[in-house]
Amino acid sequence: MRDLHVLRGRVWLFGDNVDTDQIIPGRYLTILDYSEMARHAMEPLRPDFASEVRRGDIILAGRDFGSGSSREEAPMVLRELGISCVIAETFSRIFFRNAINVGLPAFALHYSAPLVAEGAELEVHPEKGYAVVVETGEPLEFEPLPPFLMGLLRAGGAVEKFVADGGMDWEAIEEGTD
Amino acid sequence: MAEKVLESHVVRGTVRPGKFIVARVDRLMVHEVLGSRVIPLLDRMGVTRVWDPEDIVVVNDHWAPAPDIRSAVIHRRNRQFVSEHGIPHFFDVGKGICHQVLPEAGLARPGELIVGCDSHTNTYGAFNAFATGLAATDSAVIIATGKCWFRVPESIRVEIEGEFPEMVTSKDLILRVIGELGTDGANYMAVEFHGGLVDRMSVASRMTTCNMSVEAGAKTAMMGVNDAVREWLKRRAPGADWDAVEPDEDAEYYRVMRIDLSEEELGPMVAGPYLPTNVRPVSVYEGIRIDQAFLGSCTNGRLEDIALAAQVMEGHRVHRSVRFIVTPASREVYLEALRAGYIEALTEAGAVVTNPTCGACVGGHLGVLAGNEVCISTSNRNFRGRMGDRESQVYLASPATVAASAVTGKITDPRSVV
Repeated sequence: MRDLHVLRGRVWLFGDNVDTDQIIPGRYLTILDYSEMARHAMEPLRPDFASEVRRGDIILAGRDFGSGSSREEAPMVLRELGISCVIAETFSRIFFRNAINVGLPAFALHYSAPLVAEGAELEVHPEKGYAVVVETGEPLEFEPLPPFLMGLLRAGGAVEKFVADGGMDWEAIEEGTD
Repeated sequence: MAEKVLESHVVRGTVRPGKFIVARVDRLMVHEVLGSRVIPLLDRMGVTRVWDPEDIVVVNDHWAPAPDIRSAVIHRRNRQFVSEHGIPHFFDVGKGICHQVLPEAGLARPGELIVGCDSHTNTYGAFNAFATGLAATDSAVIIATGKCWFRVPESIRVEIEGEFPEMVTSKDLILRVIGELGTDGANYMAVEFHGGLVDRMSVASRMTTCNMSVEAGAKTAMMGVNDAVREWLKRRAPGADWDAVEPDEDAEYYRVMRIDLSEEELGPMVAGPYLPTNVRPVSVYEGIRIDQAFLGSCTNGRLEDIALAAQVMEGHRVHRSVRFIVTPASREVYLEALRAGYIEALTEAGAVVTNPTCGACVGGHLGVLAGNEVCISTSNRNFRGRMGDRESQVYLASPATVAASAVTGKITDPRSVV
């Protein structure tokens, strides 16, 4: 089980409408090995991203992160690079779904993100629904995820949850999912 | 309408907007994602039997025929999977693009809940299905269980009245709609299209309209059944039982949009780089030089699209500095276009006609762009690098506008060519 009490990492800033063709361009989708594919993550936007990113780093983005193609390779390459979570003003629905499914925490602010310096240290409290910029104490608040989705994240994604439970535990869906 | 389909498929939870539910899936469509991503997940999950071979549709369409060894391996994995599990609905290289071949095979029907590992699965809403895109992990879970979790969407109602003016198509209309909604204007929501024009639309035009709803974030798009769809289903799914859904009189909507083409003058529309919702009248972009014109994709690769392009090209030739690539959406479309003489006419005019594939639209093959090249395309996405180099630019438009631009070598209002 993954401990999701506190995540800590450096911030990478991205703007609005980062579509999945930016996160991983279509021409790399036939690469079967994710670690090889991940070298091209964010290539059209920031060619240096994949080589500079460190395990634990956090993506802070604007509106509609992950729009476009339904490719699950998008959250997978971010997870592969060790991104600990993505915080965005809003997510495109398929990306959000895929992120949770592959065990990449994704939290939506639903308001304009405050100015955070790139590289700033961020401390994220998924269960309590907030993050703080370590140096300034500036808070970012988000709705905690419903228990069913947190359960998928703690297991490391839907496939790992399926393996751990010996099948899909659909009963969890009714727990406080309003 | 979306809630009604979910209501008839729910197995856990309460169908109310914003709630999470578990629902039974009627059909799952998987393409190359099966071979590249889903099969390894099924192995990890220890799944040796699929939930129902009849209800899984497999298509090799994105890189078809395989342009490299990696895609050849993925295609072979799909073929092996299909044969191991006795999956009858398998459409291999050459049959066409998934969102065209499923409806052709009568596998998109009213009232059904269809899930595809492709964002343009929304297309089947033209047949009154609740159809939505997701990806590998969900596909693996559905292959194992036949079920999937959903967040029940709110609905947006779009009412469309009037008639299309000359050289204006459903593509111009949907560009106009998503231009107003914005990239996330329908995020998580179901978009319903109603009104006189929708009732009179051809099946192909309905598919184009529902297809691009995802560019505004829509989870699904739905239309009521019309005569064209009834006729289509009679021919394509003769024995099938289906129950169409209609919205309740007092249905609640998050937003209602009304477009009346007898009052509003809709002309050819173009989406500039790098967002499909960056939509302006063609006059704004007119005169921009192009290197390539592409007619194809699940959005606009159907017979009426090719016919319209052939009509615009009549008496003209492809401009000498332009590659005009025409990719029919399926073998059936290709053959119909061949018999109607469109393929011959377009080829004589200087177009390159390819086999059916997602090809150029995904920047895969058969029309990849070099740096700083400009393409006008009937496809659905113009994100940076989508069709090739990150410094290439893609403008999205109707088949008429694309064909007219292929003639002049620059973005052109089709009404000035015909």
